[in-house]
Amino acid sequence: MNILEAKKIHKSYGNKFTRQEVLKGIDISIKKGEFVTIMGASGSGKTTLLNVLSTIDRLSHGSLEIEGEELTKSKEKKLAEFRKHHLGFIFQDYNLLDTLTVKENILLPLSITNTNKKEALEKFEMVAANLGINEIADKYPNEISGGQKQRTSAARAFIHEPSIIFADEPTGALDSKAASDLLGKLSTLNEKRKATIVMVTHDPVAASYSSRVIFIKDGQIYTQLNKGEESRNTFLKDIMKTQGVLGGVHYEH
Amino acid sequence: MSINQLIFRSFQKNLKSYYLYVFALIFSAALYFAFVTLQYDPSMDGASGSIKGLAAIRTASVLLIAIVAVFLLYANNLFIKRRSKEIGLFQLIGMTKNRIFMILSAENLLLYFGSLLIGTFIGFAVSKLVAMTLFKITGVDAVASLYFSGHAFIQTLLVFGGIYLLISLMNYLFIKHQSILTLFHVKSKTESRVKKISIVEILTGILGILLISTGYYVSARLFDGDFVSMNNLFFAMIFILASVIIGTYLFYKGSVRFIANMIRKNKGGYLNINEVMSLSSIMFRMKSNAMLLTIITTVSALAIGLLSLSYISYYSAERNAENTAPTDFAFVTTEDAEAFGEILRESGIAYNEQKIDVLQVEVDIQEIMGRDIENLQFDGGKMRMSVISDRHVEDIDVSQDETVFSGFSDAMRTLLNLQDSGTLTLHGLTTAFSQEYVGLLNDSVLPLYFTGGLPAVIVNETTFTALVNDMNPEIQLDSSIYIGYTLDDRETAEAADKLFNSMPFSQDFGNSSQYSEERQQKINMGLIMFIVGFLGLTFLITSGCILYFKQVEEGDEEQINYKILRKLGFTQNDLLQGILGKQLFNFGIPLVVGLLHSYFAVKSGWFFFGTELWTPMIIVMGLYAALYSVFCILSVLYYKKVIKMSM
Repeated sequence: MNILEAKKIHKSYGNKFTRQEVLKGIDISIKKGEFVTIMGASGSGKTTLLNVLSTIDRLSHGSLEIEGEELTKSKEKKLAEFRKHHLGFIFQDYNLLDTLTVKENILLPLSITNTNKKEALEKFEMVAANLGINEIADKYPNEISGGQKQRTSAARAFIHEPSIIFADEPTGALDSKAASDLLGKLSTLNEKRKATIVMVTHDPVAASYSSRVIFIKDGQIYTQLNKGEESRNTFLKDIMKTQGVLGGVHYEH
Repeated sequence: MSINQLIFRSFQKNLKSYYLYVFALIFSAALYFAFVTLQYDPSMDGASGSIKGLAAIRTASVLLIAIVAVFLLYANNLFIKRRSKEIGLFQLIGMTKNRIFMILSAENLLLYFGSLLIGTFIGFAVSKLVAMTLFKITGVDAVASLYFSGHAFIQTLLVFGGIYLLISLMNYLFIKHQSILTLFHVKSKTESRVKKISIVEILTGILGILLISTGYYVSARLFDGDFVSMNNLFFAMIFILASVIIGTYLFYKGSVRFIANMIRKNKGGYLNINEVMSLSSIMFRMKSNAMLLTIITTVSALAIGLLSLSYISYYSAERNAENTAPTDFAFVTTEDAEAFGEILRESGIAYNEQKIDVLQVEVDIQEIMGRDIENLQFDGGKMRMSVISDRHVEDIDVSQDETVFSGFSDAMRTLLNLQDSGTLTLHGLTTAFSQEYVGLLNDSVLPLYFTGGLPAVIVNETTFTALVNDMNPEIQLDSSIYIGYTLDDRETAEAADKLFNSMPFSQDFGNSSQYSEERQQKINMGLIMFIVGFLGLTFLITSGCILYFKQVEEGDEEQINYKILRKLGFTQNDLLQGILGKQLFNFGIPLVVGLLHSYFAVKSGWFFFGTELWTPMIIVMGLYAALYSVFCILSVLYYKKVIKMSM
């Protein structure tokens, strides 16, 4: 069953004269429980694609359906309502509120949906245990490390059990240890909770944790790779090979 | 690109973020110019003869300079911080600090004197309005005309030139003390990072609230008779001031955070959007804002207090005039009274005549006073008071051994702490009459000439006759008769007053016209009220602007948070609700604390100034709160824009 269905997505910026087309007709469908990675060189339009898919940015034309709901023509307020219930976000720069403790940050999405307090705290306990953030629950974001911040951000994305979680370069600001730690937790949650994850990254190691990788070039889909029954290591090699063919970006780590 | 081009370009580009600064400048220049014009306005000359207020206006203009200077320095400070990144960039590409300073100063000069000219023009336009208001309040008959004063213009230029130099100096020091790195970080460094609430902080919080309430408590007891000597009274006042001001500071420093933290703890981490926007953000910043808020609160309390008191005096002018002259016209010699009566009759003004024999008697009121009199300047508990017979007073009929007081000013009553009943003794030359004191009549019966501010003693006719036969000639006044004229028609008061003032004896002590007294009171109090009002308004607007600037700064800094929240699915409306809560706090707390402070201050001593507390005080406070909330609304509008732009 497809949870997200996007057809002929176009997105351009600027006015009539300075018009610049970033996405040039992309078709994507994502199944429930999938962990999909979008890869591409800088400027290929991968972050724009994620923003459009996650309703943060509006598409120029094309159609977008999530959970059977047509979102292309929805009003701003309805989109916010939709995000509130069905989407979760993890960002490269964490996007935590400095003024709130880790726990308060994580509980935010539940307070929008007016979940009752007891249930909210139960959900928090569960997510916190999964992501190992119990001991930092009462700290402020400026008191914890980058890896901890990103796990907090992930916990916030998972807590209200959204249909899809969008992650924009979640490991971009982390060292490799913290990154693999986070990705491991993400894929566990993906399996355990049957959570659908869409991630944008330029890091092939990060991409190798997912079940499918979509390559974007110049605003169009270049190719796709399925993990299938492969091990993570062989999948990583495949990804790097494709990246090499794609050109522009060489894996130099 | 030459330096000149660079200056011009950056000026053009920064115009948008300058607009606040420009507004602050234009506003202060307009205000100052309008005020100074009053000093040089020829139409004021006519008024100043009767007002004698030029000195007062001049003093006020110095105060005005102080307020404006502090305000502009503060605005400039906020503003240069906003541009620290640009300054850092200039340094990075190899410009010397002196060069950067020159660029900034030149840019500033353009802006500063440009807005000064606009401000002066606006000030010129409203100066007529200001003069008209002054004439209206003081009741002076003069026509305000639009008048451009070269003197005022030069004075404005000089003062603002001085402030410009001061601002340049500050900018110079700012640039001098910054390295490239700190300049890049200054924006994020200004607020202290969030820390856990410590025990010390909780204690400061509690101490703050305790100090304020102690101050309030002592101020309420101030004139209740607990502080008997003048020295004690003075110390009590100092104590109240100190404890309330320090308490306010600690309140902002600790209490607000402490209370917010308690609420937050209660929620167990599960905050709704309103709490996210208001509580956490206020806690985050309150500590670093404590000093500013304390100053704003204290000075607004001062402004509201002074304004209330002067309005109370103004409002009570009529009552005070009645105390000085209970009837429309008062005379102490029969000849003067008859001469004036003649004139009135000739002009066809009808009046009633009332004659009261007045006797001076030494009265011992020690037993009905709640206060130890030794501390007040009375001689052995005996006071010389005016005694009259109850025959002359309507509605009062006392028996032979009863006494009623009339016309007691509230200040006197509180200072003496007069009991409701008791015994007092009237001392004649040879005998002493013991009398039962049965009460107080609020209206005064005798003019100031006889009473000297003390109440008049009303006794039974028989007692009065006995006292007359046993009077002490040494303490009698020149006159022992009071003749009061009451006009049949109040409308004729003005004409009659004119006639009265044309009489040769109109200036003699004892002869007085209620109409003139009231007018004199209104002129004196009106001028004070005008000046206090003008300064108060300036202060209100400047402090409102400062709070508004602060909010603009906060809004810009928190824009990233709004972006996060909107991505999470909060609508603009949700965020705006939260902002409303936050602004109610940010503007409400200083307002409420300021109003409370001034309420207690006014309450403890208002009776020295007039006879009516509530109406004038509520009017002043209401106006102040209404004007103040304009800034709150403005800041909410700004936030609305920021939220809208955040995604």
